[in-house]
Amino acid sequence: MLTLAWRNVWRNRRRSLITIASLAFGLSAIMFGQSLLKTLQSQLIEKSTGTITGHLQIQHRNIKDYKFPERYIDDPGPAEAALKAHPRVKSFGKRIHVTGLVSSPVTSSGVLIAGVEPSRESRVTSLSSYLTQGAYLKDGAHGVVMGEKLAQKLDLRLGEKAVVMAQAVDGSMGAEAVRLVGLYRTGSTIFDTQIIYVPLATLQEVLGVGGKVNHIVVRIDDIMETDAARRELAETLGNQPVQVLSWKNVDREILGIQRFQNGLLKVVLVVVFLIVALGILNTLLMSLFERVREFGVLMAMGARPSWVMRLVLFEAASLGLVGAVLGLVLGAAIIAHYGRCGLHLPLGEAVSYFLPFPSTLYLRPAWASHAGAALCVMATSFLAALPPALRAGGLKPAEALRHV
Amino acid sequence: MSEAPLIETRGVTKVYDHGPGAAAVEDFSIEFHAGDFAAIAGPSGSGKSTLLNIIGTLDKPTAGEVLYEGGGVSGLAVEELSDFRLRSLGFVFQAYNLIPVLTAVENAEYPLVLQGAARAERRRRALEVLGWVGIEDLAHRRPDRLSGGQQQRVAVARAIVHGPKVVLADEPTANLDSKTAASLLDLMESLNRERGVTFIFSSHDPAVLGRARRVVQIRDGRLAGDSSK
Ligand SMILES: Nc1ncnc2c1ncn2[C@@H]1O[C@H](COP(=O)(O)OP(=O)(O)OP(=O)(O)O)[C@@H](O)[C@H]1O
Ligand SMILES: [Mg+2]
Repeated sequence: MLTLAWRNVWRNRRRSLITIASLAFGLSAIMFGQSLLKTLQSQLIEKSTGTITGHLQIQHRNIKDYKFPERYIDDPGPAEAALKAHPRVKSFGKRIHVTGLVSSPVTSSGVLIAGVEPSRESRVTSLSSYLTQGAYLKDGAHGVVMGEKLAQKLDLRLGEKAVVMAQAVDGSMGAEAVRLVGLYRTGSTIFDTQIIYVPLATLQEVLGVGGKVNHIVVRIDDIMETDAARRELAETLGNQPVQVLSWKNVDREILGIQRFQNGLLKVVLVVVFLIVALGILNTLLMSLFERVREFGVLMAMGARPSWVMRLVLFEAASLGLVGAVLGLVLGAAIIAHYGRCGLHLPLGEAVSYFLPFPSTLYLRPAWASHAGAALCVMATSFLAALPPALRAGGLKPAEALRHV
Repeated sequence: MSEAPLIETRGVTKVYDHGPGAAAVEDFSIEFHAGDFAAIAGPSGSGKSTLLNIIGTLDKPTAGEVLYEGGGVSGLAVEELSDFRLRSLGFVFQAYNLIPVLTAVENAEYPLVLQGAARAERRRRALEVLGWVGIEDLAHRRPDRLSGGQQQRVAVARAIVHGPKVVLADEPTANLDSKTAASLLDLMESLNRERGVTFIFSSHDPAVLGRARRVVQIRDGRLAGDSSK
């Protein structure tokens, strides 16, 4: 029967090739979408965790808005000790984020002031890699690093002085003069115009908070271990007035975006499969109609109706298999091409408003999803073959033989 | 009493659902015996195909029954009928008998494929039977590269390859010129005489009917004569 099914597939070469091509193109398009999405999402996570949120954060226990921790960890010592001792932790740095003002002699601008530990921060986030002029912050100096655009707006040049101002914890206005030591350009509007970096000690002086910080940002060896590391640290620090958060808690939007994208892909997937299914259904119905008499001959010879049904299903399965294999090859080739040459995407520019984000993506395969899609293609062709198969099996031999 | 006939129809009547209203076959009772070389004769529309389809269990009679060696087939389920045909019957139709994507020998061996015979055994048997019908040299050609007469010979080979009780042939020569038709009948006759294959075939061609040892006449669906040489 397999021989017969296989030869039947090739008796109308053009029609079968069109069907197989539509299967293959459908599958490779889906694979492209899956790979694009995976690459996009992993870039998003990488950039978000790599430039601002880190993998884990330690914040005061009673904080609700994780993005803007308004309460301070009074004694970061125990948390630091726990982080130093934890095997999965790669690096960490204490931080204070507050909203404030940066002023030049010309004008001033409202910004997020990030107080960071210079030597540690550069091992947690990659902001220092976006520097275009000057140098990154140094421990013990009253420096400031900001985006080129912001500096331009403030009419500040390297080496000139600016004043950072923020409301101290006692309610008074704290201020400190800082020297512009470095400029960066990330491509992200938010980073380039609305965030400035000063040494943690400087900001602590402005705010009058002594050694307190409002969060500690942590990088671990492998992002896949985020949840495990979070659980372990939370246990160690159980008696401290702190909470351990992962990037998923801090950056909820990313999860939302992911969910939205995944949903969108599913819709596209269903549409593609519907088209594929209708194509196969059409092919099989046409070939069925042309062969009614032949089915009659087979049934007269003693082929059971269930045998005839299986013949039609085998034909569909052969189409599906060939289509899926070709689709996998084609899809892998497309992904490999864009993995090497990169895909320039205007979408990157939209994202980069919020985050430093590359406008060229290097696609990576998502084999588990691709395999799933290939199985779906085969399952779809099989399911689409059910109605014609049932019809073939339901033929009455005498009537089928009258058909010409 | 003698042994039950190979085939017996008892009062077989067929009224088609969407037909002219009159019965295509009416109250038709007849017996066929092993070794018969019988023709069903009648003009176009007289009910030959309908009768052969009912005898061949391809269609069900509206009334009456068909018995094989004394056993009725009306009680058999669809799959049981398939198995019965696979074991006991062989068919030759007027045209387009062969599966176009299979070679002559693959066509000839197909009943054995359906029976689940071993590959080597069924190939050997199919080639043997193709030898009987004089087609062994063309065994690996597909039907589109065989003449009409050659195709019918392959169809005959396929109809006898599994050693059926009877071969039912509905106008096997209608698409052939008279010379080719005559040589196909020679073949059928020799298979009948030398290898004991039972044939029931239909025709309205006097030249063909003249070759039969027994001619059963059908007119407007009714039995109108039964003569043996
Ligand atoms: N499936 C069917 N539905 C309705 N009427 C049918 C059907 N098959 C045959 N008939 C009618 O039954 C009658 C007998 O037809 P049948 O095909 O058995 O005759 P036949 O002797 O084989 O004729 P021919 O020599 O043309 O093949 C005809 O009147 C025909 O129109
Ligand atoms: Mg007829």
